[in-house]
Amino acid sequence: MTASSFQIDVPDLVLARARRGEARALEQIYRLFERPAYTLALRMLGNAESAREAMHDAMLRLLERVDQFRGDAPFWSWLRQIVVNEALMKLRRERGVAFEAFPDDADVPSTEPAPWMLADTCHLDHALARLPALTRSVLWLYHVEEYTHQEIAAMTGKSVSFSKSQVARGSLRLRDLLDPSLSDTTEATPCPTATA
Amino acid sequence: MPDCNGMNPPLTLADALRALPDATPQPDLWPQLAQTLAQRRRARRWRTALPIALAAGVALALLLPRVVERDATVATPTVVSSPTQEASTPSTASVEPVSTATANDIDALRRRSHSLETWIAAVSAQAPQNGRDLMAAVEVEDLIGVVDVQLDATRNDAEALPLWQRRVDLLEDLATIRGAAALSVRGDTRVAALQAI
Repeated sequence: MTASSFQIDVPDLVLARARRGEARALEQIYRLFERPAYTLALRMLGNAESAREAMHDAMLRLLERVDQFRGDAPFWSWLRQIVVNEALMKLRRERGVAFEAFPDDADVPSTEPAPWMLADTCHLDHALARLPALTRSVLWLYHVEEYTHQEIAAMTGKSVSFSKSQVARGSLRLRDLLDPSLSDTTEATPCPTATA
Repeated sequence: MPDCNGMNPPLTLADALRALPDATPQPDLWPQLAQTLAQRRRARRWRTALPIALAAGVALALLLPRVVERDATVATPTVVSSPTQEASTPSTASVEPVSTATANDIDALRRRSHSLETWIAAVSAQAPQNGRDLMAAVEVEDLIGVVDVQLDATRNDAEALPLWQRRVDLLEDLATIRGAAALSVRGDTRVAALQAI
């Protein structure tokens, strides 16, 4: 399975032109990262409008300062960090702490095969959307963007154990939400990603 | 995770999440972004030009009274002051040291501002920016931009002085952020330079 869709190399020539402020090169960079940046913001924030705003602000900050990029780290990791920061700031502004407790039954371990092996993408999309925002963000940053628990703790201003518990409890909650015996009528509604 | 493409099911949650399709912002964000970028660029050019204009203005404000005073002395040596003029002269004389002091303060702050900007530009050109430093720096730069706009609207030195002080304070904050980023990649060779400015 591939790594994060963010891991795109920007051609040196495009970067050089962008550093000179050429509008066409700036748009090329935007187009390269349009989908992964928006997807990351959408997964973290959970709604299209907030994701658009976060992505707009992140891209603006990036493109205004592209001439300061020295190439010591991959360009995509720089942009990704800006998107994550924007989304986290938005979460704090819009939802305060953004932490919601899970019901106790989410702690019950299951011996059944992981339901995401059986669920279709739309079903998983719906289940993910139903997680609390910060839990979903931590889950996504850890599993998809491959941030460490230490990095997530630093970004969210919480402890490493908080990050670990969010990943564990979020996974269990997803398992519940994807359980066919507990499934509701989500299939009647379009996929969150598809409507974003 | 079965899908319409008949791909193999994922073994882990990470695989399943990565297999979710990317989303696309609708409507297209680029036109709005390009417009905002262009506006900001124009504002930044103005922000760069403003200190030069202000410096020229301050210089003019300092030099012009002396030129006028000298011309007046040469052209009208025999004019006798009226009572009204005599009454106003002491007040002018008492105000002048204050305004000169203010102008001197502004001049000092402007020089400090220029040194800080030069140092920050030198450090920024050499140090890579990580996301967190960049975010903090952007916030401070935005505040400096607000101060610059306020400075543009000032009517006299008394109004300008606290704004110049605020500008220097913000530049010192920015220097700290940029300096920390530079030090993290270049060792401590710039500590002395940062302390020296």
